[in-house]
Amino acid sequence: MTVYSEKRQSLWLESWHRLRKNKAAVLGLVILVFLLFVAIFADVIAPFDFRTQNLNAVFVKPNATHWFGTDNFGRDIFSRVVYGSRISLQIGFIAVGIALLIGGFIGAVSGYFGGIFDILFMRLVDVMLAVPTILLAISIVAVLGPGITNLMIAVGVSSVPSYARIVRANVMSIKQMQYIEAARAMGSTNFRIILKHVIPNTLAPVIVQSTIGVAGAILSAAGLGFIGLGIQPPNPEWGSMLNAGRHFIRDHPHLTTYPGLAIMITILSLNLLGDGLRDVLDPKLKE
Amino acid sequence: MIKYIFRRILLVIPVMIGVSFLVFTMIHFTPGDPVITILGETASQESIDQLREELGLNDPFLVQYFTYVRNIVVDQDLGRSYVTNRPVASEIISRYPNTLKLALLGVLVSISIGIPLGIISAVKQYTWIDNVAMFFALIGVSMPIFWQGILLIILFSVTLRILPSSGFNTWQQMILPALTLGTGSAAIVARMTRSSMLEVYRQDYIRTARSKGLGEFTVVVRHALRNTLIPVVTIIGLQFGFLLGGAIVTETIFSIPGVGRLMVDAIRQRDMLIVQGGVLVIAFTFSLINLFVDIMYAFLDPKIRAQYK
Amino acid sequence: MKKKSVILLSLGIIFGLLVAGCAPSTPQPGRDSLVVAMGGNPVTLDPHGSNDQASSRVHRQIYETLIYQTESLDLVPALATSWTQIDELTFEFKLKAGVTFHNGEPLTASDVKFTLERALASAFIGHIVGPIDKESITVVDDLTIRFATTRPFAPLLTHLAHPAMAILNEKAVTEGGEDYGVNPVGTGPFKFVSWDFDEKVTLERFDDYHDAKALLREIVFRIIPDNTVRTIELETGGADIIFDIQPADVSRVDAEPTLTLVRDANLSVTYIGFNVEKAPFNDVRVRQAINLAIDMEAVVNTVYAGVGSPAKGPLGPNVFGANMDLDGWDRDVDAAKALLADAGFADGFTTTLWTNDNLQRVQIAEIVQNQLADVGITVEIVEVEWTKYLADTAAGLHDMFILGWTTVTADADYGLYALFHSSAKGTPGNRTFYGNARVDELLDLGRTTTDQAARLAAYKEAQEIIRNEAPWVFTWTGENISGTHSSVTGFLQHPAGHHRLDKVSFND
Repeated sequence: MTVYSEKRQSLWLESWHRLRKNKAAVLGLVILVFLLFVAIFADVIAPFDFRTQNLNAVFVKPNATHWFGTDNFGRDIFSRVVYGSRISLQIGFIAVGIALLIGGFIGAVSGYFGGIFDILFMRLVDVMLAVPTILLAISIVAVLGPGITNLMIAVGVSSVPSYARIVRANVMSIKQMQYIEAARAMGSTNFRIILKHVIPNTLAPVIVQSTIGVAGAILSAAGLGFIGLGIQPPNPEWGSMLNAGRHFIRDHPHLTTYPGLAIMITILSLNLLGDGLRDVLDPKLKE
Repeated sequence: MIKYIFRRILLVIPVMIGVSFLVFTMIHFTPGDPVITILGETASQESIDQLREELGLNDPFLVQYFTYVRNIVVDQDLGRSYVTNRPVASEIISRYPNTLKLALLGVLVSISIGIPLGIISAVKQYTWIDNVAMFFALIGVSMPIFWQGILLIILFSVTLRILPSSGFNTWQQMILPALTLGTGSAAIVARMTRSSMLEVYRQDYIRTARSKGLGEFTVVVRHALRNTLIPVVTIIGLQFGFLLGGAIVTETIFSIPGVGRLMVDAIRQRDMLIVQGGVLVIAFTFSLINLFVDIMYAFLDPKIRAQYK
Repeated sequence: MKKKSVILLSLGIIFGLLVAGCAPSTPQPGRDSLVVAMGGNPVTLDPHGSNDQASSRVHRQIYETLIYQTESLDLVPALATSWTQIDELTFEFKLKAGVTFHNGEPLTASDVKFTLERALASAFIGHIVGPIDKESITVVDDLTIRFATTRPFAPLLTHLAHPAMAILNEKAVTEGGEDYGVNPVGTGPFKFVSWDFDEKVTLERFDDYHDAKALLREIVFRIIPDNTVRTIELETGGADIIFDIQPADVSRVDAEPTLTLVRDANLSVTYIGFNVEKAPFNDVRVRQAINLAIDMEAVVNTVYAGVGSPAKGPLGPNVFGANMDLDGWDRDVDAAKALLADAGFADGFTTTLWTNDNLQRVQIAEIVQNQLADVGITVEIVEVEWTKYLADTAAGLHDMFILGWTTVTADADYGLYALFHSSAKGTPGNRTFYGNARVDELLDLGRTTTDQAARLAAYKEAQEIIRNEAPWVFTWTGENISGTHSSVTGFLQHPAGHHRLDKVSFND
């Protein structure tokens, strides 16, 4: 077995080397790391509290004190965007985490065991896939009520089917591989096989899908904010900042420009990285 | 082939039943009472009780569901909206063409931006052209739809005054919504085209074509494109569902009477039968599109076609 | 090279089409069709089938009531030419002769009887017909109708002027059946033509109208939900009149020379309510302290961009019975802290403030959260989905909440009874669960006596008590804000929001 894990390790290493050659992907990665850095050190970076209102200084244009200006409550937009990175990235990653856990489980079990599990789960997935994701998310928020946690659950659960599908397809193809047969012959339990062989080998497509999925989740959250099912104020989630600022977009565009750009840059970096990873990890594209 | 299509259509039925049960259950367990939304903050308890009885909301959950299914199957009746008291069917039919048109136009936009960008990007893989092309494709997907929509309105309707900002009857009115909706999936189409093209590029027959001294343009268009399109068609099919969802936001911004807006309003008002009917219609459309995609697949790929002869 | 030129050519064609397709947005002279844009979507044009503003705005043009409440809130004859009170409970109405419905049927007393009976049975507007006794409705002759209330009910006439009390034609309603709501028939200056759901409703002048005919041939109500886009439509010629301009756009429309901003005080008030049955809000000192801690001037300026004004009492200024002499709660953080300390909350406390997703209410909540932090109260804002919001505030699950009320009849009874009478706790409207024996007494008096001076005195005293016991933080009284193209004349706003359009025309 060690042969495989060594081989796998070198595979990852090789992929990393090739990823480094892809300038766009590296750029994406750099931006993403930067954003994570901002999110983690938001308290240090933000010059003001994101809640503090100053009703005597509303709609201030960007200047030396307020780099991105102030909003309709006189709150510092730069600080809000900085803190917002925490919430928005959290929503993106946790939502995808939820989707991945549930979808991965469903996909792995139905792909590996087949039979009744497969039929039941896949019919459920078909049903969920027949309903547009955002509609599903809206309904889930309607059931659970608004709030960050519920928003993450809604966005996550509504994208379960696509992960379930990907994992299932991969598991099914891996299951046919000889080394699985070999492991089984050597008396490994199903659980062990899934954990040791199946999951690591489905990681590549899942990583690609998740990177882009995080971007999708952030956008979905923004969309839900537009419909009025977003985050509780005064939390500076980028989508809800954008949504609250859109009423002033003609006179005070800076209220929307900065959170909007923050979303764009995040989505862009995730996509660049995702595309790069796909080029690198997809065996069909290897030269 | 016909047998295959027929079998696929039959498969849609259990999915529809599943969808209707899922939605019915979800709405049933959604907190909030349609009656309270309908009657508003001035309603008395008596009128709430009265209306609840009139709408049959006091029946047990399963009774409500089976009554609903029975009415569809036996009387082909989707019921009436709790809010407007109009037949669900007519509420949906009056809006459905707009949503479909919007989604189709969105697909058109995403194809006409995505495929060329994807091809250019693949042909010039790892050059600055590749990077720039993918970057442009990604700009579209990176912007939240409602922000993009408002910015387009401000640019084209207010500043330039060349396109109207609302409505959906003339083709001028359709341009901005189609752009708003379509640019989001252009990136996905471009990405798929690119990677599919790259894959095709490495096939032997392309090398053969090249070695025959054919120009690069001919190689791409005559030989690579057709095979590239197979996975792209799937993605476009999937995007269609995504676009039906994106239509919700687009319809609100551009004041388009569509199913998406109807659905959001209905979910918020707990107008259960409208939500039911709407989801069923959307899910049905979506299933049909997937079917269509599979047929296109068979058409584009001789190997698959052969299986169903 | 060739490819390039093809691209350039097609770009050129697209641009050319765009420019050619752009119709000039200046209105042509001699126009007789008015485009009105509003955000809300009418639910039904059956006045008994819903009670929402968007529907009334349309069916106001199609139907008429027995009595009309004018834009200055006077009651004047409409379908009824005169009325007399026969005894304490009974009224008799003489109908106007020669009135025809849009389907050609003449208006008779039996239509009025039919309408009242149907309204009484409606879950949506039954409360507006109020205490009319169904058994007492009598057709005296073709043009005379008589009915009584079950108990003395002073504001009856204003209730009869409510747009929901539109007189329907029995034959049309029966023929229309379940689909009457999309085939409305009234006696009003405009008749219904067509309705594209979520898009537009088209009305046409009724040429056999019994009074001065409408000046324009056609009215099209367009539904444009996005506030920003609605204003843009007015600017770019897509609408001649728009309703409900959002505060952020008011100065823009005002500054535009080709547009006219129309603004008038309306009948609505926004308030922050306390659940007075729940600690710590069962202590009047806490409620007063919060009143002292909030500066409403700032709320109005920030949230409403100067539109409307800080509320001085529970009723809007033009409602009959409004007490405009109540003492204000000027912001005084120290006094507030002292009261809180007195009540045993020297270190403040933590509580929740509920709001629905209404943008302005959310913003009020944010400001209140900030201002209450100054007196040590930590407020968590909870945005609750509308249905749940109404249900849970009626059930008393809340601490503090933000809500509004529109006194459509412009009479204090409608604006106070449901909100402050102890018999109205919960669903009917008293979501603060406030109760005070003297207030109950005064509100009952105001409802039953027909002596207007006595009513006025009762309402003023009730508002005095309410102000001092502070179940509410009086927040904001609103304005109706519309915008018109400057070529539009004769547009008058009704304080209740459903503006009549038969006197509107274009000056060329």
